[in-house]
Amino acid sequence: MREKVKPEIKFEDIPGPEELELEKMPFEEYCRKIFDPKKTFEKPEALKGIRWLSCTMYIFTPHSVSNLAELGAECIKIEMPRVGDPMRHTSPFNEAYLYPLHDTRPLTGTGLGFMNANLNEYFITLDYHRPEAREIVYNLVRMSDGLTECYRPGTFYRWGIGYKQLMEINPRFIYVWGGGFGYGPKVFGGSYDILGQAQGGLASITGFHEDFGGHPVKHTNWVIDWYSGTMITVGILAALYWRRKTGLGTMIEFSQVHCSTRACGYGIPLYGRFGIVRQRWGNWDTQLCVHGIIRTGKSDYPDDPNPQLREEARYVMVSAFQDQDFRELCYVIGRPDLWEKYKTHKERLKPEAQMEIYGALEQWAADKTRSEVVEILTNAGLLAMPVMNDKEVYECQHFRERGTIRWIEDPIFGDVLVQGGFSVGMLSETPRRVRWVWRPVGADNIRVYHELLGYPISKIKEWYEKGII
Amino acid sequence: MTLTEIIWCKYCNTVNYLDPYTFWNWKGKVKCAGCDRVYYVHIIQGFYYEGPKEMPPGEPYDIMPLYADKPLDGYERFRPGTPGKTRPYTCLPREIYLGKADVVKFSIRGRPVRGWAPQPPSSGLAGSQGFKWDIEKLAPDVWKEYQVKLRKGEVREW
Repeated sequence: MREKVKPEIKFEDIPGPEELELEKMPFEEYCRKIFDPKKTFEKPEALKGIRWLSCTMYIFTPHSVSNLAELGAECIKIEMPRVGDPMRHTSPFNEAYLYPLHDTRPLTGTGLGFMNANLNEYFITLDYHRPEAREIVYNLVRMSDGLTECYRPGTFYRWGIGYKQLMEINPRFIYVWGGGFGYGPKVFGGSYDILGQAQGGLASITGFHEDFGGHPVKHTNWVIDWYSGTMITVGILAALYWRRKTGLGTMIEFSQVHCSTRACGYGIPLYGRFGIVRQRWGNWDTQLCVHGIIRTGKSDYPDDPNPQLREEARYVMVSAFQDQDFRELCYVIGRPDLWEKYKTHKERLKPEAQMEIYGALEQWAADKTRSEVVEILTNAGLLAMPVMNDKEVYECQHFRERGTIRWIEDPIFGDVLVQGGFSVGMLSETPRRVRWVWRPVGADNIRVYHELLGYPISKIKEWYEKGII
Repeated sequence: MTLTEIIWCKYCNTVNYLDPYTFWNWKGKVKCAGCDRVYYVHIIQGFYYEGPKEMPPGEPYDIMPLYADKPLDGYERFRPGTPGKTRPYTCLPREIYLGKADVVKFSIRGRPVRGWAPQPPSSGLAGSQGFKWDIEKLAPDVWKEYQVKLRKGEVREW
């Protein structure tokens, strides 16, 4: 009798788990499936189970907690009764508010400057100065994983709620002091973003050189506040991992100023090696040419009443630093002589060469709109991109599809457009999310003091009447 | 060499401010805001290389000053954007940036946003708030307006 021959089964034909099916998809389709912004709320949250206290103000330290809240941590922001974080009152030109702030202040709202620094948090009020506050903080600390504060050095210690006191209550506690300068000779210096940019060395290399009509500038947005806050979050995640291994808490001391120094790139080691102080070159690059932003002659919105569109929508980023690209660029702008003159990259990098090349580019673009310049250069196979403004970012399909820009139906404030952290470092299994942009001052007093800590309603009423909360 | 912050017209005692030309490498003709005389200047790295040199009457000019004043006449001023006298200053904030909060009831895609004050008190004990804005109850006029927008198709996805 002949032995039955088993039909050969190829490995790829075996139906596998879903992950294997996904492997067969084209990469773009695969990414769209696993990162789909519409599926965000169907997925779990990475930091669920972590409870963090935010005794913070403005952007720098609040952002460190907001990052945790976006990833699913339960974050409780503690603010001064009836007033709240000063950042609530820092709206662009006192114009853009969401109401209400608190029922006792019906004409005051929270400014849009508060946005993205306090997402998904619960908001309670507490006046730390009052003796009754200490016990309340201790009770919160017993039930929490960590705290971020931004007060002057030793303030919380003086109030009896510093790291040394709190670690005795909860040895697993992680404590962040986000000082302006941190300890050291300048320990009492408070910091703002602009001060951080100036003191840390970043402002000295930001903006055009005086030869080109410039001087040191700060970034229009508080970029070092945002960056420093994110770096604190990195420290917190490391501390959480350390605690998982050892069971012990950590104190994180964080200087905003030093974050600015870190962002200085190669400037510091350059000085260490040669004693050379890096110069400010603005949009132009000291390593690559052509690789900068040029101004074209005509705006894409010549009749718009908003000067930001009418006057400013005329800048283009151009990159053509490799020899063949630079050659193409020179021919496109009708200046083959520049190619003949600066054939090597080394020659193009010289300041005189850059001044001539960028000058020629702007001269060529003087009778063209921004779109025309981008189109001509792109068609020639060169890299060119308009310098986009908020309106154009909003209208860009790429940002919409990835969910970088989203409309949030905030449960209290209604329709709000937000740009969150969701699309920077997307997480396929545990995506970041925005549930609400913020809540009014003290909106969660009952939820936290009564439902979480178990204080009776009568006590909470008493605190409220005395102004403790 | 003189710092190129100003052109002081000796005929009409007007101080013409060229900002931000102080920082620039620039040459051209500037019209005085006070008496319409034209001056030629050549600025290199923030310093006068040449001028200010008075030009013959009727000479066409390149720019007007950003603003100007007359210190000897009690600081009479020509503010930015005075027609025929000073350049328009396109960084001027909008009128609503003058300290009065703007009232907005709908976002740019036509959906309700809580952007006006005062609003009726809506919190509970110790300032606590729920997770719902009951528009129909708390802002009936906005709710009605929203229904009209919905019917007209003025509410968009983006």
